Amino acid sequence: MKSRLAVLGAALLFLQPLTAQYRTALPGYRFEFPRDYFDHPDFQTEWWYYTGNLKSSTGHRYGFELTFFRAAVSRDAVPSETWDVKDLYLTHLALSDLDGRHFYYKERVNRAGPGIAGVSASKGRVWNGNWQIQWQGTDQKLDAVEREFQLNLNLHPQKPPVVHGENGVSQKSGGAGQASYYISLTRLAASGELELNGEKLEVSGLAWMDHEFFTHQLDPDQIGWDWLSLQLDDNTELMLFRIRRKNGSVDPYSAGTYIDLQGKSTHLRAADFMLQPLTESWTSIDTRATYPIAWKIAIPKLEIELEVHTALAAQELVGKTKIAPSYWEGAIYLEGKRGKASLGGVGYLEMTGYDRPVRLSPQP
Amino acid sequence: MAIVSFEKVSKDYLTDGQRVHALDDITLEIERGEFVALMGRSGCGKSTLLNLAGAMDFPTSGNVVLDGVTTSALKDAGLTCLRREKVGFIFQSFQLLHTLTVFENVELPLLLAGKPKARDAARERLDWVELDGLGDRYPHQLSGGQMQRVGIARALVQSPAILLADEPTGNLDTITGNVILGLLKRLTRELNTATIMATHSAEAGALADAVVRLRDGKIEEIGRR
Amino acid sequence: MGRLFLFYRLMIRPLLKEPVRAALTIFAVTLGVAVVLAMDLAGNAATGSFRASMETLAGDNDLEIVASGGVPEAIVGSLATLPYYIRISPRMEDSAVLADSNQTLPLIGLDLVAEANADGGGRALVTSSDKTFETNEDTIRQLQKADSIWVGASLGKKLGDRVRLLINDQVREFTVRGVYPDSNGSESAVVMDLATAQRALNRFGSVDRILLNVPEPPALDEWEQRVRAILPTGVEVRAQGTGTIENRRMLAAFRWNLQLLSYIALIVGAFLIYNTISVSVVRRRPETGIVRALGASRNAVLVAFLGEAAFFGVTGALFGLPMGRLMASGAVKLMAATVESLYVSSRPGAIALSAWSVALAFVIGVGVAVVSAYSPAREASLVSPVEAMARGRREYKTRVHKSRDLLLALVLAIAAAGASRAPAMQGKPVFGYLAAILLVAASALAVPAFTDAILSQSSRWLGKVLGVEALLGSQSLSASLRRTSVLVGALSTAIAMMVSVGIMVGSFRETVLIWMNDRLPADLYLRPAGAPAPDRHPTVSLELADKISKLPGVAGIDRLRAYEISLDGMPATLASVDLSAFRRDNQSSFLSGRPTAQVLAEIRDSKAVLVSEPFTYKHHVRAGDSITFSLGAARPSFRIADIYYDYGSERGTILMDRQTMLRYLPDPTPSNLAIYLMPGTSLEAARNEILQASSGYRVLLASNRDLRAEAIRIFDRTFAITYALEAVAVIVAVMGVAGALLALVIDRRREIGLLRFLGASAGQVHKQILVEAGLLGLLANFAGLALGFALSLVLIFVINKQSFGWTIRFHWPVAVLLGAISVVYAATVLSGLYPAQVAVGLNPLEAVHEE
Repeated sequence: MKSRLAVLGAALLFLQPLTAQYRTALPGYRFEFPRDYFDHPDFQTEWWYYTGNLKSSTGHRYGFELTFFRAAVSRDAVPSETWDVKDLYLTHLALSDLDGRHFYYKERVNRAGPGIAGVSASKGRVWNGNWQIQWQGTDQKLDAVEREFQLNLNLHPQKPPVVHGENGVSQKSGGAGQASYYISLTRLAASGELELNGEKLEVSGLAWMDHEFFTHQLDPDQIGWDWLSLQLDDNTELMLFRIRRKNGSVDPYSAGTYIDLQGKSTHLRAADFMLQPLTESWTSIDTRATYPIAWKIAIPKLEIELEVHTALAAQELVGKTKIAPSYWEGAIYLEGKRGKASLGGVGYLEMTGYDRPVRLSPQP
Repeated sequence: MAIVSFEKVSKDYLTDGQRVHALDDITLEIERGEFVALMGRSGCGKSTLLNLAGAMDFPTSGNVVLDGVTTSALKDAGLTCLRREKVGFIFQSFQLLHTLTVFENVELPLLLAGKPKARDAARERLDWVELDGLGDRYPHQLSGGQMQRVGIARALVQSPAILLADEPTGNLDTITGNVILGLLKRLTRELNTATIMATHSAEAGALADAVVRLRDGKIEEIGRR
Repeated sequence: MGRLFLFYRLMIRPLLKEPVRAALTIFAVTLGVAVVLAMDLAGNAATGSFRASMETLAGDNDLEIVASGGVPEAIVGSLATLPYYIRISPRMEDSAVLADSNQTLPLIGLDLVAEANADGGGRALVTSSDKTFETNEDTIRQLQKADSIWVGASLGKKLGDRVRLLINDQVREFTVRGVYPDSNGSESAVVMDLATAQRALNRFGSVDRILLNVPEPPALDEWEQRVRAILPTGVEVRAQGTGTIENRRMLAAFRWNLQLLSYIALIVGAFLIYNTISVSVVRRRPETGIVRALGASRNAVLVAFLGEAAFFGVTGALFGLPMGRLMASGAVKLMAATVESLYVSSRPGAIALSAWSVALAFVIGVGVAVVSAYSPAREASLVSPVEAMARGRREYKTRVHKSRDLLLALVLAIAAAGASRAPAMQGKPVFGYLAAILLVAASALAVPAFTDAILSQSSRWLGKVLGVEALLGSQSLSASLRRTSVLVGALSTAIAMMVSVGIMVGSFRETVLIWMNDRLPADLYLRPAGAPAPDRHPTVSLELADKISKLPGVAGIDRLRAYEISLDGMPATLASVDLSAFRRDNQSSFLSGRPTAQVLAEIRDSKAVLVSEPFTYKHHVRAGDSITFSLGAARPSFRIADIYYDYGSERGTILMDRQTMLRYLPDPTPSNLAIYLMPGTSLEAARNEILQASSGYRVLLASNRDLRAEAIRIFDRTFAITYALEAVAVIVAVMGVAGALLALVIDRRREIGLLRFLGASAGQVHKQILVEAGLLGLLANFAGLALGFALSLVLIFVINKQSFGWTIRFHWPVAVLLGAISVVYAATVLSGLYPAQVAVGLNPLEAVHEE
């Protein structure tokens, strides 16, 4: 479960009151790949989420994020014409120059129109203008062009896809359908080229892909969440999220997934792990929000104890179009131990609802 | 009864806000057939007197009576009529219209007055001034003496009772001038007009029946022969 | 210092003593300067700096992609996914009419979702005035409503207002969802999302233009190449605003001609200045002689007189500036009307009084004054002191030059004939205007001989008929022949201008009337309601066309369709007619003279087209040539089968068979319909039936006769500006006559005084001056008619032909000419009233004794 939910939720909820015309995420869904890597227009909201930690041949560290949201706006228009807005495609692109201490962030919104944006299973393509993912077999090519930088990566999966949650659904709050279908490629070997301010760099590292689709999932008392994807040096991965409630407590629907060396996943319930902010924080000039940027993680049954830190405090994405709320999403590194052995790793941290409560449920 | 009489005539002009007495209390009577020379220095009032006698101007006080008509009783149109019928003007520089032939110049007063048979009258007057045969010439084809003869013929074309001449010989040499003076004197007799001539020339004064001397707008003396 | 003082005493003081005459001269300069300035300013606003209305909300971009009949919208997707950091704005560009106020507005369709991506976020639409139009979540929410529009604030609409818009032939209701700040009324537009716009216009699959914003480096050329690489053949990439530049280019000839026309008023003014200065030279010859005798050099005299002229020039320019600015506001409306009806729907730019315009005013005012004064001033400087003191002698000398001038006039006239045969230079009839100027010069030189001949022949006769005053009047005119000639020259030039333009416009009008008889063979014509413009082609619903074609009284309909295209850097109209449709044998005439049926058979469903006559001049083609232009996604070539006369538009039209057009541009919707009735069907009955069938559509149904009346109305509106210019020239000339007569009176006070001595009444003096005015008017009218006739030939057969390419049949607009000439004549005579009054008021005593 991710904060992009919040982002999207906000966009969606005012665009179109929820109606029965969309399916909801119920247990028992049979995933089929590669078909389920692509779009599910029956569901109102869907996203593709790519994050990764990269290193240039000179040792400079970078983080990147490319996220495609699809928000169904209307299924009414009959007959529909090219420019009708059936879905809104909102895409975020961010580059964290961790050593150069600079954060680049762009947002783009489009309708499908005559091929401006979209998702195509037949072409193996997810795109918004010239920000795109092109599948080639099991590899994915990621290309994104911005004014200051251009990123061209090949993403090669080292593990099979993971389906989060129980019985194929990732439940977010009480009630049938208050859930999403949520799959991930947790260990993608990334390699390619980054052109930053006119300088071309060979880069390589680890990337993570999330794909989630649903129609509604949260309840009004849930005001935000903190989410982490962790790629550990021992070739295992963790996904953890905690949902914060209005009264300051942690929601019992907070959960996680552990992926072992072979790619086998284990669902983690809220009681299975501890996720707590440390004292270090960063306050945004733009939104005045204060984000805890260091965390402590403990998963007793896996004997894992970790501290999460970031090399760059300023990794907040500020909504410029007023369509998306602001959130912090950035590259992190891990220090800790598993049992007696020390353990490190990299990952991404997402924090939402720190500037204002995220609207998480449909308005009546 | 006098054809021209000035009864206590004064004439003032306003020049640059200053009152100038051009004529001062002039009383004078001139009979038909009388050839009067008006003498005096420049600016003594000769021209003003001529203009008053020619119904071109009104006196400031006193009366000018032309053939029994008091000029100050008339309006502009009446003056024009009076002028047409009673007065002929002769100028020092002839004042012929260069674009018109001699005939046309002479006819002009008759035409302006709308009178018929202008050409016949013009021919007769040219005969009188001994210019017969030159009627179709233009003024610039004539000598000075001839031009003044045309001027005289024009002045006579309406058979005026009064002939007013302002330095008629001023632009002519002495011999020609004397001839013109003789002509004027003869015509005054023959036509029985009253002729008033402003002049500087003593010879002209000697020819006149009477000499009126003006000085600073007043009559200094009247010498009759 | 001493010189200045002398100048003041000899030049300025006499002027101050005759304030009326000085004022008249200055007024002539003022009017001349004002007219030229007004035309320059108005021309700039109406044709030079105008922005095509479709540039509304276009912002500042680098490139634009256009195609005849629309850019296939798939190109938007291709551009969006190019691996370059570029910004893309696809647009629908059409027009809509506010149903309630009948105001025509640009209808702009934008991708209101993508506009949110503009840098700065949500500050998407930057208008030319730097005002912004924000796209935000609200905008996107409103996109879901198919009736959402955004309008400029100057329209005075509020959020939620319902607005009825006539788009093509239908009225629909829309709701104002937002108001964007526009600088003034000229920026107003109706903005819709692309989806809404395509639905409202019923045009799917293509957009009208795609604007591109590209970074630098690389250079723009490189970007053009990169973009061109992904475009189909018929689709063109070019610098943004090329359309505007093309329109300006198209308007260049029109503007140039207006500008030159305005100089005629100046030439008339020059005559008058010349006249004034020569009068003052002659009048002050004695003073000049005294000054010379007292030691002034020739140069000092020359400079003094030129100084006087410069004084007139500067003063005239000072008054001319504000007056020109004022006149420009009127002129710009007239010009904009012409541009709108002949060329392109546009909005005039603001009138800007630049430093350049101020300089122009002074250069013109002082330049014309000094140049026209040079010859008399030089003459003044050449007279010897003794000669100068003898009055009037030099006046006669002009007689000597009469025959020499006449010979020179003949030479110039021959040169004019030669110049009129020369071809255009860069589309501008330079030699045509040279011929006109030579003719004016020839006429000016011939006028003294003409005037003298007429006056000397007629004065005696006039004297007999009209009385001695007429004799004296004509004699005095012929005595001061040079001055009279200048007056006649000035007035006759103004009259000639009026006559020549009158003949040209009259001939043109007659030609158009005859042409319309041939060109409008159908009984009824139907087009979408809304003001017509040569570059707007709203469409009639297909269903309506079908319904009408099936009505019982209708024998057949012709579906005409028109598009705007760009060809060789200039806009043109591409039209199609339905050659398979019912067609009454009409008289349509072609340049080749071939029968209509034969020509039409040649272009039926073939790669042959017809082009209009103005097209051949704009694009330098002849029958048999081949033309290539973008059409849909292709770039085919066509052979020009023949050329047809077209007086409806100056844009240039390509005409092809409907079937041929449909192959490239498959949209079958017609722009208008020509409806033929069955023989014996009553026009009224058919009209009612068609109107009934078109209920629910907003169309205009015009009978053949209505259409002709409308065309002539537009025609007359088009030429309003030329009439206005003529009026000014005539006013200048008549004022000049008044001034010159006044000068004549003052100059001849001795003679007038003398006449009073000889028994002339006040009325007679009055009459004489009026007779002189009348004679001047008469002479000028004769000379003006003759010159005007010659000039009209140059206008019709050289200047018009070379700049616009219209074949005009010569026609005397007798009634119009008679009317105009009578008015001018009456004005001339009336202009003698004041000088006559002055003459009567002169004191004869002073006048005669002056010397």
